[in-house]
Amino acid sequence: MRELAGSLMSSELLKYAFQYGGFLLEAAVIMHVVRSGNFRRLAGPMVYVACILGVGTSRAYVIHHFGLKSSEYGYFYWTSDAALVLAAFAVVCVLFYRASAHEEKIWSFVRVTLVAVFLGVLAFSINSLLSHKDQLFTGFIVEFSQNVYFACLVLITLLYILMQQLGNTDDELGFLVCGMGIQFAGPAASLALFHLTSGEQMVRSLIGFIIPVCTLAMLVIWLYALTRQPQTAVDASLARGLVAWPEPAGDLKLRLR
Amino acid sequence: MFMATIILILSTALFFFYVQAVCQKILRRKFEQEFFLAIVNANRLEFPAVRKSLEDFDVPVDYARLRMMLKCDFLALTYLLKNAANAGRSFSHEERLLIYYFRFAFFSLVMRHLLRLREKPAVLKMTAILQYFANVVGQRVNAVRFGSLTASDYLLNL
Repeated sequence: MRELAGSLMSSELLKYAFQYGGFLLEAAVIMHVVRSGNFRRLAGPMVYVACILGVGTSRAYVIHHFGLKSSEYGYFYWTSDAALVLAAFAVVCVLFYRASAHEEKIWSFVRVTLVAVFLGVLAFSINSLLSHKDQLFTGFIVEFSQNVYFACLVLITLLYILMQQLGNTDDELGFLVCGMGIQFAGPAASLALFHLTSGEQMVRSLIGFIIPVCTLAMLVIWLYALTRQPQTAVDASLARGLVAWPEPAGDLKLRLR
Repeated sequence: MFMATIILILSTALFFFYVQAVCQKILRRKFEQEFFLAIVNANRLEFPAVRKSLEDFDVPVDYARLRMMLKCDFLALTYLLKNAANAGRSFSHEERLLIYYFRFAFFSLVMRHLLRLREKPAVLKMTAILQYFANVVGQRVNAVRFGSLTASDYLLNL
């Protein structure tokens, strides 16, 4: 019993760590971009990060007021999730624009495709709603979120391939796309699992970990892409030769000789 | 149900694809010069010879020896990464990610050998990671001035 309570406590602690770590990282990414004067260039991704931060803090507020098991929180969670996937879709469109804006023909084709994909996903989800009219929140929004996430994942993969085909040398865009890919793949997989298992408690807990971890991974990759410098920092004291170099461990010392 | 299964399988596969793409993007970093050569010479690392033999001749290699060579180079380079001209005495985030990537590639090499598949792609991936590590170490050492000592002179006199 004590072991079970201990493991539950540690999993709750881990959830809080991911949640608040995510808030800090989201704020850090936005602050860094604003301070470096790159906000205009990175407006799309930064608005998305701001949405994630806003939704995260609002959810914490709703839990505090209504409780985790309240129906208000349930409605708020799935509505905000739908808003987040729409924001994610908008970011995918922005990234497509950045990759293909200089190729007028490609961009006009991509524009039509993006609209068609969105309408297709919406039609598919509405069709699903019509067959389960009583399940707006438990059925429709979960399925809509899952389908948009998956559509975004497919689109971001197509963008990755398009960039390879165009020989795009924008390294920052490459990292942004990879980060988005991870951010979409985790939730798409976990929502599909949720759908397959009809929302079992274990899967719910798993989703509670996977989604924040994927968001954290995306933010770390973005932060790396935005802050990385071509040169590796070297300690100034080492550069002056004031600090002794470390002695290699025994087996490595032999090898180094 | 069918759609959800397809989404689950594809999303999981794409998740790992993007993690690998991030690693590949880090490995594509351009260094101002080939810093790795000094480190390879000073430490008698063997991965450039392994890569050359695979790329130029594509001959079957002694698997046990190859595994040992790559593992030893990996141990030496991760030690240097952590301790040579590194004020924090710790790995950076991208180094840590690449260390995991190397371990995954090593596991993939073992599996390919057991399943009798081509080992060359896994070996080339591992040599690319080792070259990146050697370049990072070389760049750090190159930035440090010890009188008239060059990076290789310093490392040989350790």
